[in-house]
Amino acid sequence: MADTNPHPLNPESWVDEYGDFLFRYANSRLRNTNAAEEAVQETFLAGVRYSDQYSGAGSERGWLMGILKRKIIDYVRAQNKHNRVSSYEDEHDPSTQMFDAMGNWKPGAINWTPAPGEAIELAELRAIVRGCLDTLPKGQADVFVLSVMEELSSEEICDELKISPSNMWVRIHRARLGLAKCVGSKWNVESETKHHA
Amino acid sequence: MPDDKSISQLITKSLRLELTEAEQKKIDQNLESNQEAAKFAELSKLIQDSIIKPADASPDESLSDDAKERFKLSVSQAIEEKLSLSHAGLLNVVNKSQRPVSTDGPSDDQDRELISKFKLIRKLGQGGLGNIWLARDQKLNRNVAIKELRDEALESEKSWVRFHREAEITGHLEHPNVVSLYQYGVDRKTGEPFYAMRFVGKRTLADAIEEHHDKVEAGEADPLALHRLLSIFLDICQAIAYAHSRGVIHRDLKPENVALDNFGQVIVLDWGLAKVLEDSELATKMGHVETITDSTLSQTMHGDVVGTPLFMSPEQAAGQLDLVDERTDIYGLGAILFSILTGEAPHLQSAASSAPDVESVLKAISESEPPTASQSTKHRVPTELERISIKAMARKRHMRFGSVQKLANAVESWVAGQSGKQAAYDSLRMEGRELRADLQASVFNVERNVRFSSTLPPIEALIDAGTEDDVLVWRERLSTIFHGLLQANPNYRGIAFCAIEQEATHYREIVRVERHSSDASTIRNVPKSRLNTDRIHESIASVVDKKPGEVHTSLACDTICSAENNNATVGLLASVPVYDPKTEEVFGFVVIRCDIDQMLREQMTRQTTASELLIVCDEFKTLMHRHGNQIVTASLNQHLETVASYFLPAADQLQTKTDYIDEANADVYGARLCFTPGKIGLIYLLKRKPNS
Repeated sequence: MADTNPHPLNPESWVDEYGDFLFRYANSRLRNTNAAEEAVQETFLAGVRYSDQYSGAGSERGWLMGILKRKIIDYVRAQNKHNRVSSYEDEHDPSTQMFDAMGNWKPGAINWTPAPGEAIELAELRAIVRGCLDTLPKGQADVFVLSVMEELSSEEICDELKISPSNMWVRIHRARLGLAKCVGSKWNVESETKHHA
Repeated sequence: MPDDKSISQLITKSLRLELTEAEQKKIDQNLESNQEAAKFAELSKLIQDSIIKPADASPDESLSDDAKERFKLSVSQAIEEKLSLSHAGLLNVVNKSQRPVSTDGPSDDQDRELISKFKLIRKLGQGGLGNIWLARDQKLNRNVAIKELRDEALESEKSWVRFHREAEITGHLEHPNVVSLYQYGVDRKTGEPFYAMRFVGKRTLADAIEEHHDKVEAGEADPLALHRLLSIFLDICQAIAYAHSRGVIHRDLKPENVALDNFGQVIVLDWGLAKVLEDSELATKMGHVETITDSTLSQTMHGDVVGTPLFMSPEQAAGQLDLVDERTDIYGLGAILFSILTGEAPHLQSAASSAPDVESVLKAISESEPPTASQSTKHRVPTELERISIKAMARKRHMRFGSVQKLANAVESWVAGQSGKQAAYDSLRMEGRELRADLQASVFNVERNVRFSSTLPPIEALIDAGTEDDVLVWRERLSTIFHGLLQANPNYRGIAFCAIEQEATHYREIVRVERHSSDASTIRNVPKSRLNTDRIHESIASVVDKKPGEVHTSLACDTICSAENNNATVGLLASVPVYDPKTEEVFGFVVIRCDIDQMLREQMTRQTTASELLIVCDEFKTLMHRHGNQIVTASLNQHLETVASYFLPAADQLQTKTDYIDEANADVYGARLCFTPGKIGLIYLLKRKPNS
């Protein structure tokens, strides 16, 4: 490949050098080890196939990351396409548990009492968020991932998943509510356990 | 109350720090008054913060070793595949789609991919670059030819490049006389390239040429065979003219590279050495392979010419590859034409006479003048076709035909002229045969009459006659019959009954009836006192040797030609022996002397398509000569050589054959008439009018 591209890549070392990094990234987004592995493998193969398009402008890792991000979106889109028929949103609307009939917050809707002055460990929190993401309906979690984690614009998300903007915003909102409820309670449980310990 | 959608949008904006001051203020107020909302906001921010930080922060997660091994394997396979594609120039084919990496998702609706499967059946042959297999297309259940790189060639990158180039050029040439390429691909297991094309069969033009010349050699030439080969030649010209129009020069034209199927299809194969002219449409399409320059090819070409420099143009043999252009193919076509005419490769003799190494052969080819077809074969070659092949193979390129089409036109008009010529020649042959048949019929008639005369009762009575009176009576009766015979046959000059004398050295006329020499209507019985006694000469001796009823016929032009008026009088003598019924010994003979002169003269004045008509006798002495519409009297009694020497080859062949057919030029026809088996009696020679 060196003969056709002035910016040589070393695909032979990719698995060792970037495999874990890319896998972690993919897994955090896709929340599915198999899907994450598949996305990483496809990233490497696409990297080899299109190696001559590597301009040398960014790092090898950054370039592969760009491919992986695309693979993640493709995966989410494919999944979404298959599951489009189901309408779990209504069944999994956390609002009913958190708001009264007037639409006001129910007291204690969010079980969240951060200990004053206690630094919140992000790594710990992330693990909890990850766990909570898994409890969310897939349609909500996916939109949340693409919007919050992948920072795609609302137009891009609607375009990729073929959903309306309203649908998207509602999904995000429900995802936030669901996560807040889940994370709040889990955090409290864990920190209580810690305290007891 | 704001709905979910607007709250959601607001939160997102807030978390992305995109709120205006007023919006921020309003929210802050709202959160102050609502504890649950504040907790939700705080938590949402925490969640957001936790997850958009880099993934490296959770180092406990990693790919399993198993997955890594699997990935490494698939990556290295992908690298190999990629290498083979880039070897084959396909790298750029992928590039051509201009798809950015980021859209490499599931294939969109514009792409169709397929996997084909071919089963190799048997090897058909081997070229400079690859092996050719007969294979079965498993999907369509049809036979195809598969070409793949030879093992030796797999090692060389140049071979890969050439191989792909060959496929690409062939694939771009869509013409009924160019082999159709079905598919180019890389074998999934080995990564080696191959392509599938139409399976035409194994027979090539080389086989057809060899077959034709073997038959010529054996004297079994089919007059149509040359025309069939020329029609194949014209098809090749069409394919090459088309290729030239696309900017492709074949550069390796030879009979082996032309396949013939059983249904008359002509397919030009092996475009492995083809050159794509720089400014052609095809060169633009194939831009990415133009990195393969001529110099790269020339290196490989030298390896290839080893087996087959015998059809090569001088500029190729001299290694002047920059001079290679359409005219190089015109040379190649001329070489194929040469091979059709002679059955040999044009440079066979140069190669045979130079040192056996390739360099010397190439040197000889580059320096020698083009061979002439007639020097290379002992058989006659049509002059015009030979001229065309010499012109096409001119050493100086500017002396060759200006285009393939011009070369094809020249051959085509020869073929067209030839069919007109052939038709004219066919009528010429018919006329010649008719003349001979007419005379033959007259001769049979004379022979029948002389045989009849010899069985007349008066003859037996004269043999038996005891007394002078008896003789007188029977002579009278025989004379009367002979008289009638002469009256009935105006061409008969005389008829006589003769007896052989005791010693068999002389003969004696017993009865003779003859026509008056100047007044043909007067027939007289020769009186006894005027009857001849003469020595038995050669022709009488031949009669005497015959069995009863056997007629001896001979031409009597020598004796009868009258010198004074220079008008030949050609006579025919038909004699039959007469046996004595008692002794069963030869008693004498009956002879009819007939003037065929009149008859030949009448033949001479008939309507004819011939420009020249000549009748000669056994010593090639001219008896009759017509040129155009004129009877040429000056030729009479002259030897053929001085009259019309171009008839000599025909006359020579007629010593042994009954007909002379001019295969090469369809110009001259000759027919022989024999009176005595195996001995020339008369020869008719006819020449076709030049423009018919």
